[in-house]
Amino acid sequence: MSPGRPAVLGLQAVSVGALLGAWETAARAGWVDPLFVPAPSAVAAAFAGVGAPALAGLGDTLAKTALAYVLAVVGGVGLGLLIGSLRLLRDVLSPFVIALYGMPKILVLPWIVLLLGYGPTPAVVYGTIHGLFPILVLVIGGVRDVDRNLVTVARAFGATPWQLYWKVVLPAIVPTVIAGMRLGIVFCLLGVLVVEMFAGVRGMGHVLGALANGFRAPELFAATALVSAASIVIVLGLDAVNERLSRWRG
Amino acid sequence: MRAGRIALLRLAILAAALAAWEAAARAASPLLYVPPSAVVPALGRLLTLESYPDLPASLALTVREIAVAYGLAIAAGLACGFALGLNRLLGRAFGPILAALYAVPAVVWYPSLMLFFGLDAASKIAFGFLLGFFPIALAVLAGIRQVSPQLVTVARAFGARPPTVFVKVMVPAMLFTLVGGLRTGLALTVVGVIVGEILGSKAGMGALINHAYGLFRTADYVALVLVTVALVVASDALASLVERRAGRWTES
Repeated sequence: MSPGRPAVLGLQAVSVGALLGAWETAARAGWVDPLFVPAPSAVAAAFAGVGAPALAGLGDTLAKTALAYVLAVVGGVGLGLLIGSLRLLRDVLSPFVIALYGMPKILVLPWIVLLLGYGPTPAVVYGTIHGLFPILVLVIGGVRDVDRNLVTVARAFGATPWQLYWKVVLPAIVPTVIAGMRLGIVFCLLGVLVVEMFAGVRGMGHVLGALANGFRAPELFAATALVSAASIVIVLGLDAVNERLSRWRG
Repeated sequence: MRAGRIALLRLAILAAALAAWEAAARAASPLLYVPPSAVVPALGRLLTLESYPDLPASLALTVREIAVAYGLAIAAGLACGFALGLNRLLGRAFGPILAALYAVPAVVWYPSLMLFFGLDAASKIAFGFLLGFFPIALAVLAGIRQVSPQLVTVARAFGARPPTVFVKVMVPAMLFTLVGGLRTGLALTVVGVIVGEILGSKAGMGALINHAYGLFRTADYVALVLVTVALVVASDALASLVERRAGRWTES
C-alpha cells in the first residue's frame, strides 16, 4: 500500500515544524550558544538586514556562474563530440580526461588566483574548469554509446558526415547533454562560490565568508538559506525543462 | 600493436605538455609558471623534510580527518538511506528533501560550519562528512529501488525472515550500486576535507599549501600539490580495489 499525498505532506510539515521548534527552543533556553547557532526567529529577522547586500552578492555570483556555465557547456559538449567520435583521440585522451575529472580542482586554485588576480576572472575560469569536466566525461560516453546500428544504417543510405552528426548523433546524445547540463550547473556555481570565498572581493561567497569572519551568525544563516534556495530553484527548473523535453521526445 | 601505439601517443602528449610547460615557464615569469625542472628538486627537498619538516604530521592529520569524516558519512548515509528506502512514507516525505539539498553547492555551508566548529579539524571533518553523506545515502536509495520485488516475494514465500531477506537477497542485489556510492562518497569526502583545509586551517596539507603559496614559494607549492594528489590517487585506488572485490563476490 502506498502512502497517500496528505500523509506525505503532513509528515514533511510536521517534521520541518518540529525541527524549527526544537531549534528555537534550544536557542532561547540557551542550550546552544546563540552566537554560533542563532534561533530561527533571529535568522528570519536578519533577512531584513542582510537582504540587500546578499542579493547584490547573489546577483554578482549568478552572473559569473552564467558565463562560466555557457563556457563549460559549449566547451564540454564540443570537446566531448570531438573526442567521443574519433576513436583514436578517445583511446589516447580518455585516461587524461578521467584523471583531470577526478582531481580536486581546489589544488590549482591558489595558482589560478596568483595568475589572474582577485577580480571576477579567476571565478569564471575556475567555475568553467569545474563545470566542464563532468559534462565532457558524460558527452564522450554518450557519443561512444550511440547505437552503432543507427550509424551503419545512416551510412548505408549515403548520409554525409554532416548529416550523420546532425540527424543521428546529436539527437541521440540529447539526454546525455541534458544530464551533463544538470550536473554542470551545480559544479559551476560551486566553483564560483569557492573562488569568492578563497579570494573574492565581491559575490555571495565573499559575503558568506565575511559574515562568518565577523561572527554574524543570524545574517550568515539567512544568506546561506538565500543562496541554497536560489540553487534549488535553478536545479529544479532545469529538471522541469528536462522532463518536458523527454516527454516531447516521446 | 594498436595498444602499443596508443600508449606511445599518450606518453608523447605527456612529454609535449611537460616540454611546453618548461618552455613557457622559462620564457615567462618562473615564479608564476614553475618549470618542471624546478619542481623535481622542490619535491626532493619536500620528501627529505628539508623545506617542510612537519609534512608527515600534516599528512597524518589530513588522513585522520578524511578517515573520521568518511566513517561518519558511511554510518549516517547507510542509516538514512535504508530508513528512507525501506519505509515508503519516510521515503516519499524525505527523499525529495534529500535530493533538493543535494542540489545545493555544499560549499555554501562551509562558513557556517567554520563558525560553529572553529578553524581546527572539526570543521573539515564536518564538511567532508557532508559531502560524502549524500552520494552514499542516495546510492542506498537507488540500490533498494533496483532490488526486484519478485526476489523478495520468493524469499518470503520460502519462509525467509526479514533479516535473512535483507542479508541474503537485498544486500547482494544492490551491492554494486551501494559500493559505487561508497566510492563516490570517499572521493567527495577527500575533496571536502581538502577544500576545507584550503579555505581556512591552521594545520594539515591545505595549511601547508596555503603557506607555500602565500610566500610565493611556488615550486614548494607545486610539490605539496603533487603529494596531495598522490593521497587522492591512493584513496581512489583503495576504493576501486574494494569495488572489484565486491564485483567478484556478487558474480560468484
